[in-house]
Amino acid sequence: MNSRPDPNESENPMNTPDLKVDALVVGGGIAGMQSALDLADQGYRVALVEKEASIGGKMIMLSKVFPTLDCCSCITTPKMSAVAHHDNITLLTTCDVQALHTNGNGGYTAKVQQNPRYIDADACTGCRQCEYVCPIDLPASYDLDMGATRAIRVPFSTAVPQKAIIDIEHCLLCGKCEKACPTDAVDFSQQPFTFNIETNAVVLATGFQTTPTDAKREYGGGKLLNVIDALSMERLLAPTGPYGHILRPSDGKEPESIAYVQCAGSRDQSLGVPYCSRVCCMYAIKQAMLLSGALPMADITIYYMDIRTFGKGYEQFYQNAKAMGIEFVHGKVARIDEDSEHNPVIRVETIENGRIAERTHDLVVLSVGMLPGENLGPIFDVQPADDGFAAIPDPTLSPSATGHPGVFVTGTASGPMDIVDSIIMAGAAAAQAAAYLETMRSSVAAGPTAIPEVAHV
Amino acid sequence: MTQDKEAARARTAMLKKLREEHKDTIEHTRVLLKKQQEIRRIISQAMKDGAGTVPEIAGASGLPAHEVLWHVTAMKKYDLVTETGRDGDYYRYALVEEASQ
Amino acid sequence: MSEKDIRIGAYVCYCGGNISDVVDCEQVAETLRGLPNVVVVRTDLSMCSDAGQSLIEEDIKEKGVNRVVVGACAPSLHEVTFRKAVARAGLNPYLYHHVCLREQDSWVHQSNPDEATAKAGRLMLAGIAKARMLEQLDTIRLEAEQHALVIGGGIAGLRTAWDAAQRGIRVTLIEKSPFLGGHMAQLETIFPTGENARQALHELIEKVVSHFLVTVYTNAELTSARGYMGDFRVTITAQPRGVAEDFAHFDEAAAACPVEVPDDFNYGLTTRKAIYLRYPDAIPNTPAIDWKACTRCGECKKVNGTGIDLDGKPQTIDLTVGAVVVATGFQPYQPREGEFGYGQFPEVVTLPQMIRLMTMQEGNGKLTWNGHPVNNIALIHCVGSREIPGVHEPQEDGRVNDYCSRICCTATLQMTNELHERFPYINLFDLHEDIRTYSRGHEDIYTEASKNGVRFLRFHGDERPEVTAAPPDDTSPLLVRVKDYLTWGKELEVPADLVVLATGMMPNPVSDIVKLLKITEGNDRFLLEVHPKLQPVETAVPGVILAGTAQGPMNIQETCSAASAAAAKVGVLLGQGQVSLEPFVARVNHDLCDGSGQCVAVCAYEDAIALEPVLVDGKTVQKAVVSPANCVGCGVCVSVCPNHAIDVQGWTLEQYEAMVDAITADLPKLEVVE
Repeated sequence: MNSRPDPNESENPMNTPDLKVDALVVGGGIAGMQSALDLADQGYRVALVEKEASIGGKMIMLSKVFPTLDCCSCITTPKMSAVAHHDNITLLTTCDVQALHTNGNGGYTAKVQQNPRYIDADACTGCRQCEYVCPIDLPASYDLDMGATRAIRVPFSTAVPQKAIIDIEHCLLCGKCEKACPTDAVDFSQQPFTFNIETNAVVLATGFQTTPTDAKREYGGGKLLNVIDALSMERLLAPTGPYGHILRPSDGKEPESIAYVQCAGSRDQSLGVPYCSRVCCMYAIKQAMLLSGALPMADITIYYMDIRTFGKGYEQFYQNAKAMGIEFVHGKVARIDEDSEHNPVIRVETIENGRIAERTHDLVVLSVGMLPGENLGPIFDVQPADDGFAAIPDPTLSPSATGHPGVFVTGTASGPMDIVDSIIMAGAAAAQAAAYLETMRSSVAAGPTAIPEVAHV
Repeated sequence: MTQDKEAARARTAMLKKLREEHKDTIEHTRVLLKKQQEIRRIISQAMKDGAGTVPEIAGASGLPAHEVLWHVTAMKKYDLVTETGRDGDYYRYALVEEASQ
Repeated sequence: MSEKDIRIGAYVCYCGGNISDVVDCEQVAETLRGLPNVVVVRTDLSMCSDAGQSLIEEDIKEKGVNRVVVGACAPSLHEVTFRKAVARAGLNPYLYHHVCLREQDSWVHQSNPDEATAKAGRLMLAGIAKARMLEQLDTIRLEAEQHALVIGGGIAGLRTAWDAAQRGIRVTLIEKSPFLGGHMAQLETIFPTGENARQALHELIEKVVSHFLVTVYTNAELTSARGYMGDFRVTITAQPRGVAEDFAHFDEAAAACPVEVPDDFNYGLTTRKAIYLRYPDAIPNTPAIDWKACTRCGECKKVNGTGIDLDGKPQTIDLTVGAVVVATGFQPYQPREGEFGYGQFPEVVTLPQMIRLMTMQEGNGKLTWNGHPVNNIALIHCVGSREIPGVHEPQEDGRVNDYCSRICCTATLQMTNELHERFPYINLFDLHEDIRTYSRGHEDIYTEASKNGVRFLRFHGDERPEVTAAPPDDTSPLLVRVKDYLTWGKELEVPADLVVLATGMMPNPVSDIVKLLKITEGNDRFLLEVHPKLQPVETAVPGVILAGTAQGPMNIQETCSAASAAAAKVGVLLGQGQVSLEPFVARVNHDLCDGSGQCVAVCAYEDAIALEPVLVDGKTVQKAVVSPANCVGCGVCVSVCPNHAIDVQGWTLEQYEAMVDAITADLPKLEVVE
């Protein structure tokens, strides 16, 4: 079979039914992309499998990122581009790994299904004329349903690959897109397609999900229009956001008073999430800073239990936010209701004076936590631990090794962590995968004689 | 020529099969589309009558403000509506053909 | 190429609002349209995105653009990104010029958008002026030594060494002290897994030292370094150990040694002799002489003279390595005399001392300290961390530790749990600002501490607790005063038989290494990476990589991840046996060079430029010759050359002059901005 697939055909595995690589990376978010790049830059051949139509993961949805306040695109999009153009990386989008088997030689065979885009990816130029003629507007999950998209669309403006996809579950099959497409790329005949990837190492970077906004009844159970989650606020703050401004969803008003409720989904036994999600303190502070830049007259309050700004430069970031006039209130928010104008009303027991206060804001942001993403048990035999994230047998010295030789887990699939830590851990997984690949190679051709040596000079 | 005809026939059969497979979702989307067209008609009417901010459009149309915001956002994305300025805490929107007149 | 064939594409990036929120990018673009040689002008929300890069590629292929200028973020971020895009389209990557419109303009002129727009225009015009003069250059490709020097024998250095060696790269690991393992050897239980720290550490050390690609030198330091990525020439100086490997009379020799010094393994709680083993099963398991303490009295030799040599000389080892990994680690913050009563009251100890103290206490009966039974312990968080400039006393360098040390919260609560398990009768008071048990499994340690009845008190950063002597009739010798915000700001007094200070992390002092390798420290004194997300383990010096707590506070798990990430970078740099260096180095025009040698005299870098005999018209004359691999392109030689015979490639004097002319020219179009 074809052992050296042409990288130019990376978007069309139909021409390369079987693929042979050194490492298979599952998940095209920041951790998966970084692992893929760190392996490919060492000269290993990598297949990156992503189930969505574009790589970029959750990070590409963000506005600016802490602690440097770089615009998120400045960090993510070049990495997406590097993945797409790397000679050693075969990028496979809209693909699911359906099974993973050991191949008896220390490596693995992955059975992968590519789901149809209903678009000839080679022909599509990403011009979006199809999207403009599609008659149905649908809530855009990329904008947390605040904005609209269509049944045929390019996922988002910086998507990689920049190719259209048809959401067949919402398609009318009216054929308007077909007529509008200047390159005849619409192809309703596409079928799911299954193929095998032979690989020696596997890196699992399947990521996380956020606490659903309806998780907590005391916080309105997802029914309060002006209680949004922090990912929605990321979209509002992003230059590509749905409204083009920071507006509240109930009536499009520019909010004058915005509150953050910390630990909304973390450190909460009632939700079965006893752990800290590690990122919420910093992203709330970051958003508060960005908001006070965008809406200089707005009052911003952060209700918290503990502020956990533990990373490099993070504590200084927190102190800067305090100096900017962002109000930090030490207290646990007990309830959120709303008044007749849909203004959220927060009931909080402030710990500083022991009083129960009710405060009305224009907009409330829930600092939602990180929940486990895909269960890696059924397909990869990497079982979840009690917290739902991948169980790691030796978390101290080998934080990315699973119980299976050559199979590694990285990024938020192995527990909550921020982007900085995910990138470091992605590098770690790449190092260990590389070490595995080399030991496999040298076990075939035995290495030189060992000279154990501690020089006592 | 016969080849083309055969291809066309195969295509029709394929689409028919696809329509059959997705019968329920197509129907669901069709209902959604109808509802959406009706809302768009009401919103466009309210905007023709001079309404501009989301609460104004909501007041004039009788639609809930959050629904108006969603539709105006969608219409803005696909160039049917444009933003024309501010009014206090709110932004003003106009239909694109109105704006160009 | 004649001037009329030059076709410049100019691109102004919005940087997702970072630039366009201040600079009117469209107006800047308008200014550039129609300039001589400029055939394409575009703006984009994000030029570095795949779509943005594709614009450039298409313009090169379809519009015949042959010089590219992008105005965007700092070149340190994405200059290389755009060079790669240019190269993909078939153009020489050095026919690209990067203009900084963000750090150099929009970020620093937020309050003055009009002037910022005018400045952006000028910067772009200067870039275009330079672009007209760009010439094709080639990267300097060199053989890379597939050998890494790892500095530091703690967990970070060991983990990096292991991963790199497994990857197939030769490693020399040097450790300053006579023993491996660093601070991890001083721990007992690792949170949250409960493993034995030394056992886990020893397993790794055994694997590393027996790997056929690894050489370890203890008692060894880096004493000189020069060269560049792929070819660093380093000298290691190793002090003699003083004790032979087969020396079998350690106990007698130690008994004979009259010198007694504080034992740093126990953080000064105990003493040891000048001949010592760090701990009984320390690796290497051969005793060593502490040369700073040893008086060379020779008493130890009298026990068995053949195994001890007090007159050994340091040995130097010269190596060529392709990369250097700095894993020099941390030291616990040392409280000042009197800080929270430290050094003033014997009952005040640091958390690292407390960890050692716990191992010295036999059994689970009664805890005693300084002759008193211990019934009340107060543990104070954030000692030497989260300090506020202007509130807390600065250190000698004028700085306070304004960062969080990351590990101390969980370590402190782990200590309370251990104390509760072994001495359940002790009252435990935990005084904190915030509890930061952030990592996987750490919150459980906090929950357990709460269940154990630890009493939590919370202070504000600018109102830290005070440790004072208790009145003589009190049961406990100390009182800790704190304004507690869990009881609404009440002033409380906590009796304490022992006060444990949760001291933070400081980097080990490595100014010598910083100087030798020309790397930089951040404001927090930890070693500085290029960018936390783009190049998180790399320093500004290519080929010099960071691993572990030398870079910032981390726990063991995080250190291992960072160390492995460093190994991945070593693999990227050296794995293929070749490295590429930027071609921005000095170039001598031998037609103009008269061999004055002034350039050689001022050059600060070794072997970068030299006078060499060159054959001109049959005669041998001295001319300056550049060694591109050693030249950093600083341009000092350019400035002293009396004949203008030297230029830095890619940054020639002519190019600078064109840029200056463009910046200072009148810009009527831009000046009308109101």
